[in-house]
Amino acid sequence: MFSHLSASLVDGLLIGFVYGIAAMGLSLIWGVMRVVNLAHGATMALGMFFIYYLFSGAGMNPYLALPLAALLAMAFGFIVYVVALHRVIQAGYLYTLLATFAVNMIIIGIGTTVFTTSPRNVDFSLGSVTLGGEILQGTRLVAAAASVTITGALYLFLYFTRTGKAIRAVSNNRAAAELMGISSARVLALSFGIGTMLAAVAGSLTATFFPFTILSGSTYQLKSFVICVLGGLGNPLGALLGGLILGALEGIVPVFMPVSWVPVVEFGLFVAVLVIRPSGLMGAK
Amino acid sequence: MAVMEVHNVASGYEGVQILWGVSLKLEPGRLTTLVGSNGVGKTTLLKTVMGLLKPLAGTVTFQGKEVTRMSAHARAKAGMVMVPEGRQLFTDMSIYENLQMGAFSPRARASFKNNLDKVYEIFPRLKERANQKAGTLSGGEQQMVAVARGLMAEPEVLMLDELSLGLSPLLALNLFETLTQLKKTGLTMLLVEQNVTMALAVSDYAYVLAEGRVHLEGPARELSQNDEVRRTYLGI
Repeated sequence: MFSHLSASLVDGLLIGFVYGIAAMGLSLIWGVMRVVNLAHGATMALGMFFIYYLFSGAGMNPYLALPLAALLAMAFGFIVYVVALHRVIQAGYLYTLLATFAVNMIIIGIGTTVFTTSPRNVDFSLGSVTLGGEILQGTRLVAAAASVTITGALYLFLYFTRTGKAIRAVSNNRAAAELMGISSARVLALSFGIGTMLAAVAGSLTATFFPFTILSGSTYQLKSFVICVLGGLGNPLGALLGGLILGALEGIVPVFMPVSWVPVVEFGLFVAVLVIRPSGLMGAK
Repeated sequence: MAVMEVHNVASGYEGVQILWGVSLKLEPGRLTTLVGSNGVGKTTLLKTVMGLLKPLAGTVTFQGKEVTRMSAHARAKAGMVMVPEGRQLFTDMSIYENLQMGAFSPRARASFKNNLDKVYEIFPRLKERANQKAGTLSGGEQQMVAVARGLMAEPEVLMLDELSLGLSPLLALNLFETLTQLKKTGLTMLLVEQNVTMALAVSDYAYVLAEGRVHLEGPARELSQNDEVRRTYLGI
């Protein structure tokens, strides 16, 4: 029983690192732009397919394809911002929500036509390591390490660079930032680019664990919402922590009850946090 | 030549026109003040001048160039700096970070160190609390950060909106004294105030705004002697 529990917990935590990256992207876009990005999951799925084609089609190592996916996703984020968000960003939640939902539907529609909905699988293994009796998959260890690196890099960027501080300034008070000579449109485009990049990277890493279709992103998107509320908006460390908590829950819950209870527990927690501590565990306010 | 010139500006918010053709001039090195009762359009004018609101008509000229269609951040980069009403600090960021953001534009960044020393000299308390979050400060300290952040931007013209609002009379007096000091350095300023007595006392030139138009203008000393101004705004 105990060894079973600890194995599930470790498994869950390792996946939680990747949840953290996806949530970081959503949290950044939500916190800085006040945009609830409903295309986040679909973007993750695009990341999965990108890795799949470069690996299965071109024989490229998934980890070499990862930076490429990141760059392309950032460019894709800029384009989505300019085309779908820039004009409606001042119009309020509902408009941006509908705009990102439209982007989501376009990605999924085209994706279904091009990729169909039959599951794909990136058949790539790095072997495994046995540590203290636990068998750890190499791909998951690499993903966890990537996640920690990305969190650290994002934290340093936001708190110690001029551009990062400008992002926080726009997040805090958009009009005041304009008065300081900061182009809020540029900062918003950059934030959406980074958020989209994080979604694609999270998708790329997930592709090395599980089979997927173009529709797979929606589950991760929902999880990202829960994590954003858990961790609090705008803080990358909060997102990582939230991801780990959610991952741990997913590891532990099935040991004690049927696996279908996992979402019940997750969303129960979501409601509880909203009621008790709406700013999240590491929220600013 | 005037540093900044507002010509016949009409402006307002969706469905409500507030300004009906306002013109004013800021002469270099002079402290100009814009007074008037609450709701008369003083803040609307500043927002329009900075590009946060689009004018319905009229032009804004800065250093001889028309800027009416420029974005707010481009105007700030050029040296038009506003200290907004209600401070509008970056409350989640430290005092130091607020000052860094003030010096965001390339021309201000070049003299960051120099300006930081100057600002800390004017407001020593900000130096002591440099790493404290701006949102945790008292109202008076927040207003100091707001003014300091504006000075960090290396302004060619500094516009101050309702500097004394919500401050104790003593704190307000201190800030007005700071303005007099700044004037000695040759800075061109536009002060928007409800506290007419104090504003006229420190200013060189004044405009009285009423019903969305310039009602009176003249040297501040003359206006403070004007019977109508005394009756309406000074309560004498």
